[in-house]
Amino acid sequence: MTRFLLRRCLQAAVVLVLVSLIVFGLLHLLPGGPARAILGPHATPTNIAAFDRQNGLDSPVPVQYWHWLTGVLSGNLGFSYGQNEPVASLLAQRLPKTAFLAGVSVLLAVLIAVPVGFYQAVRRHRAGDYVVTTVTLVLYSTPAFWVAILLIDVLAVRLRAVPAEAPQGSFSAVLGDPEGLILPVLTITLVTVAAFSRYVRSSVLDELAQDYVRMARSKGAGRGVILFGHVLRNAAGPVVTLLGLSLPFIVSGTLITEYVFNYPGIGLLTFNAATSQDYPVMLGVVIVVGAATVAGSLLADITHAILDPRVRAAAGIA
Amino acid sequence: MSLENVATVRGPEEDALAAQADAAAGGVWLRAFTRNRLAVAGLVVIVALLLFSFAGPLFYHTDQIHTRLALETLPPGTGRPLGTDDVGYDELGRLMTGGQTTLEVAFGAAAVAVVLGVLWGATAGYVGGLLDGLMMRVVDALLAIPALLLLLFLATVFRPSVLMLIIVVGVTAWLVPARLIRAEALSLRGREYVLAAKTMGVRAPTIIFRHIITNSIGTILVNATFQVADAILVVAALSFLGLGIAPPATNWGAMLSGGLNYTFSGFWWLTYPPGVAIVLTVLAFNVVGDGLRDAFGLDTRHG
Repeated sequence: MTRFLLRRCLQAAVVLVLVSLIVFGLLHLLPGGPARAILGPHATPTNIAAFDRQNGLDSPVPVQYWHWLTGVLSGNLGFSYGQNEPVASLLAQRLPKTAFLAGVSVLLAVLIAVPVGFYQAVRRHRAGDYVVTTVTLVLYSTPAFWVAILLIDVLAVRLRAVPAEAPQGSFSAVLGDPEGLILPVLTITLVTVAAFSRYVRSSVLDELAQDYVRMARSKGAGRGVILFGHVLRNAAGPVVTLLGLSLPFIVSGTLITEYVFNYPGIGLLTFNAATSQDYPVMLGVVIVVGAATVAGSLLADITHAILDPRVRAAAGIA
Repeated sequence: MSLENVATVRGPEEDALAAQADAAAGGVWLRAFTRNRLAVAGLVVIVALLLFSFAGPLFYHTDQIHTRLALETLPPGTGRPLGTDDVGYDELGRLMTGGQTTLEVAFGAAAVAVVLGVLWGATAGYVGGLLDGLMMRVVDALLAIPALLLLLFLATVFRPSVLMLIIVVGVTAWLVPARLIRAEALSLRGREYVLAAKTMGVRAPTIIFRHIITNSIGTILVNATFQVADAILVVAALSFLGLGIAPPATNWGAMLSGGLNYTFSGFWWLTYPPGVAIVLTVLAFNVVGDGLRDAFGLDTRHG
């Protein structure tokens, strides 16, 4: 287990370094480089040259990377000249709101998708499975924004049951308006359930085909004992892995949802940064999400190894 | 953006893939595929959509260049089956024009992604060792960055055109095929015929093309189908956020984006046709992908 941990942590560290290199590369991909990104499209070549000298951007690229990296590690994610605020503080204001929106939605999605996927696998090739599989396949093929528009059209415009605009203002203001959260949460939940339940279905099917299930059955174990005693626990591993890896997917869905409902979180911030070419903000979001994804995937793998001895064994051999 | 593809490539059962793919060789898979009625229906829908988008304008003439504000947001009626949009374009004709760009970008991006991914994955898996470790960490690092964020960034740096969108979407989507093909290559490189070729002094690039890639064709074909579905969703999302192709060109995502503002006015014909078109197309490709996967006898988890 120690070897597995060390190996996995080393891998994560390499990936983190690569993520930082990619972001640094993107910064330099911009026409005019970082100076252009910060000074904006109207900066003259003289201004850019002066800025480069001031900020050490005329030094060799590896030196620049080192400066940038140490800055990021000490919490300096750059400065948004568009919003006249450090990127880190912009993110800090909005992160709780997005984390809340995505967290509630994903929690709901797991609570729905696990029983649904389980049901599908157990009732495989029966009417119930076909109905649920069809529904989730259609939902899986539906973009988040179309789900959002349908929900607005039916629930907000035609039935007038819920407001179509998300709550505004600070985090506490958002919490104080639960009605406005219904549609954004519903949108992310539906999109996520579609992907998760398909995954749960196939991982439970995989488990049902394993030798230990046949073994338990031949020993006379009841259906309930096999399903809830053995399969559920073993199928939990892939679900944890899925959660660890799905962060980029959830971020994409959340960005679209925040845009449609005008929810004041990281997604809307990123969208506004993209349309106003506020590159420091965009890259700040990429760094934070990238680091969180690497950490999430590491955590998921460790949890999976704790839950399932087969993973530990495989990692030991490899 | 497909979460499923990302999450599925880590299974421990990858070694079984190649063996099953062999069993599916020799056209058996074609018969298995045509027996799957749902998959065939999906294929029919795809052909119908291609005809609708590319041949449709030959029979249904509309002006998709000049705006006519006097004819804006007219409800469906005679001569305009789906009404007109907010600048007076005929909505049915718009659906065809938008379908063209949507499908062009989707097929193009899928091709770029699959070629890139196959080359990367086959090389990493066949060569192995330190190079493999490094190449796959690069894939991990890129997977950690949400594709939509990367796309938003690239779309603001490069001016989106059909070709640019193909490249931009393609270079963000090759990661999943890379991982799938690497797993195939890992198991194939231990096979007798590969070892024999190696012993005879065949060079690595030749082995990769002649043996590794040709024997992974099932996995490649299945993934390519899912890639088209994903690319449609991604391009639609990008256009929906207003960072797609500039007017008068359009695609289904951009049409939805334009229609969003009129939802409250009850102008359903501005959102439902492109919305339904996207879902129908993506669904068709997903169903065909599922069918191909079953026909090739590939792992249940891959889709």
